[in-house]
Amino acid sequence: MNETADIAIVGAGAAGLAFAWAVAAPGVRVVVLEAGGHVEQRRAPSLEPDWELALQGAYNANPNVRRGPADYPVDDTESAIRPAIFNAVGGSTIRWGAHFPRFRPSDFRRRSLDGVAGDWPVNYDDVELFYDLNDRMMGVSGLSGDPGNPPRSPRPCPPLPLCAATEKLAAGFDRLGWHWWPSDAAILSEARKGRAACNNCGPCSVGCPRHARASADVAYLEAAEAKGVELRSGSVVTGLELAGNGRDVTGLRYVDSEGSKTLSCGQVVLAGNALGNARLLGDVLDHPLFGRGLMLHPTAIVTGLFEDKLQSWKGPFGSSLVCQEFYENDAAHGFVGGFQLQALRGQGPLTTAQGGYGLRVPWGRDHAGSFDARFGRSVSLTVTCDDLPEDENRIAVHLTKRDKVGLPVPRMIYRVGENSDRMLRFGIDRATDALRAAGAKDIAVNPLTRNAGFHLMGTARMGSDDSHGVTDSQGRVYGMGNLSIVDASTFVTAAAVNPTPTLQALALRAAYAMRDARVPEKATA
Amino acid sequence: MNDPLTALLDTLLPGDGADWPAAGAHGLAARMQDLAKGVPDGPIALATILKALPEGFADLGQDQREDVLRRIETNMPKDFDATVTAAYNSYYTDPHIRDVIERLTGYENRPPQPEGYALEPFDESLLDAVKARGPIWRQVP
Repeated sequence: MNETADIAIVGAGAAGLAFAWAVAAPGVRVVVLEAGGHVEQRRAPSLEPDWELALQGAYNANPNVRRGPADYPVDDTESAIRPAIFNAVGGSTIRWGAHFPRFRPSDFRRRSLDGVAGDWPVNYDDVELFYDLNDRMMGVSGLSGDPGNPPRSPRPCPPLPLCAATEKLAAGFDRLGWHWWPSDAAILSEARKGRAACNNCGPCSVGCPRHARASADVAYLEAAEAKGVELRSGSVVTGLELAGNGRDVTGLRYVDSEGSKTLSCGQVVLAGNALGNARLLGDVLDHPLFGRGLMLHPTAIVTGLFEDKLQSWKGPFGSSLVCQEFYENDAAHGFVGGFQLQALRGQGPLTTAQGGYGLRVPWGRDHAGSFDARFGRSVSLTVTCDDLPEDENRIAVHLTKRDKVGLPVPRMIYRVGENSDRMLRFGIDRATDALRAAGAKDIAVNPLTRNAGFHLMGTARMGSDDSHGVTDSQGRVYGMGNLSIVDASTFVTAAAVNPTPTLQALALRAAYAMRDARVPEKATA
Repeated sequence: MNDPLTALLDTLLPGDGADWPAAGAHGLAARMQDLAKGVPDGPIALATILKALPEGFADLGQDQREDVLRRIETNMPKDFDATVTAAYNSYYTDPHIRDVIERLTGYENRPPQPEGYALEPFDESLLDAVKARGPIWRQVP
């Protein structure tokens, strides 16, 4: 096996595979090292009667509970929110809901507009073309014309359907005179080559056997390999080899089923999320901002219970509609920034009983009645908050505790900031208003979803210079000769929406810059 | 009365005397023990809770058994939580219970795939009121 690469990418998730596809060019050797293996979504658990058990085991969002072969331990004892990541080819898009909103222009200018966080060294217009390209690659359904966002190109597929429950929600928003719009979703409403249209089965988070719901492997891997990209799954990167100048990475040490190896590299691109990057760079990068300013999306979930049998399990659980009435900053709200309300459909019977959104059906004599009052009769709204970067919220690494390959165990250190806390409380009230307006007879509130550490942003933020950021606008790490980071850890602000479209668009932008600006220097070994 | 595990299940999931059977009487004890293996620390938790049950627990009435379990839940929350998880897992994956769910709610006793569910296409006219408001996003200089 050839142990050299012009461009080596660590991590075959949403960013890594998009980057690999875009940077590939004739004569350029691109190798992706991924710790996890392939997930055969064609045999997803949703084809089996006991599919809901998979959500507690092999598809549990928390790596500390899942303990899969590629998972590494994360110390979350100092965090109010637990990690929710997936380690495999496709990364966390293997078990996601494929909700696919874009940042707004204001999200890139929070310092100038609101006096908080920072301004990005890129703006919405810089990224828009890459959003569009990525939408086509992933296969996005939606509807252009949303008055909550800048005009955008026609969506590749028509919007996904509403169901009885989400139609009630939409009517509730209308009664209040609030914004709502069908979600952009990386889920096909119309078939394309190799991928069937969504059939509204519901549990996108256990993989999609129809490949209707996109994941990075489904959307990008085959196209990347057709351009010559080599994926090495089951390859755990254990360290960086540095040149004598301390600035140039000459190789990546990794372990696969055959043992320890070294891949000599021209360029090194990290796409392993804030936790994975910290494991590799904790001993290498001493930039004062690295690891600091961790932003999550603190999320409350407010559930409305209806008298009608809504059969609310029908349709993709997390991709139906959003309300962005309270997205932009408004001083009258008592906090800085805004939030999004995202509809969540009902869940399967077991997950409903277990309290998948945080509210277990009580055991005992009232159990049957309580279950009947909830199952199929509920719809929920997330309160997804724009988080601010706070210095004490961070990813660090243990000095002594090591995982099975000898890498330091990352520590997730996070408390919900005062501003986010105020926003959550306000948002819970507004979500309650909306559900009441929709006709809910009862409301249940999960004030903070503990298992919501899926969006890890800001620990290697980009900046216009090295005093404002760890990387430049293309993810190139300041002070290092050939090291880039292209995942959500480069985000300057969190916005109030899922980060995947933005991180993929930025990865595509960085990849084209790398491809076009230079002929990669050949590896030395 | 029954053995302690069956009594425990019947207390957690007593049914409603009509549509929903009690979990223990329905014979789910063995399946619950099996599924406890898939819950983090499940077998140990279940053993701990069974050990904490007082002598004669199975002979108590439902109200008294619930009182006992609420005390145990307060004192051993983690083990009790894992036990409830295993109990619910056994109940809601049982084919007969899934038949009850289908009859009462319309949720068919089959996996979500490959059949999926039919929904009507999105009706854009629902958005007329939203469109009429005009843009609400913030322009950036």
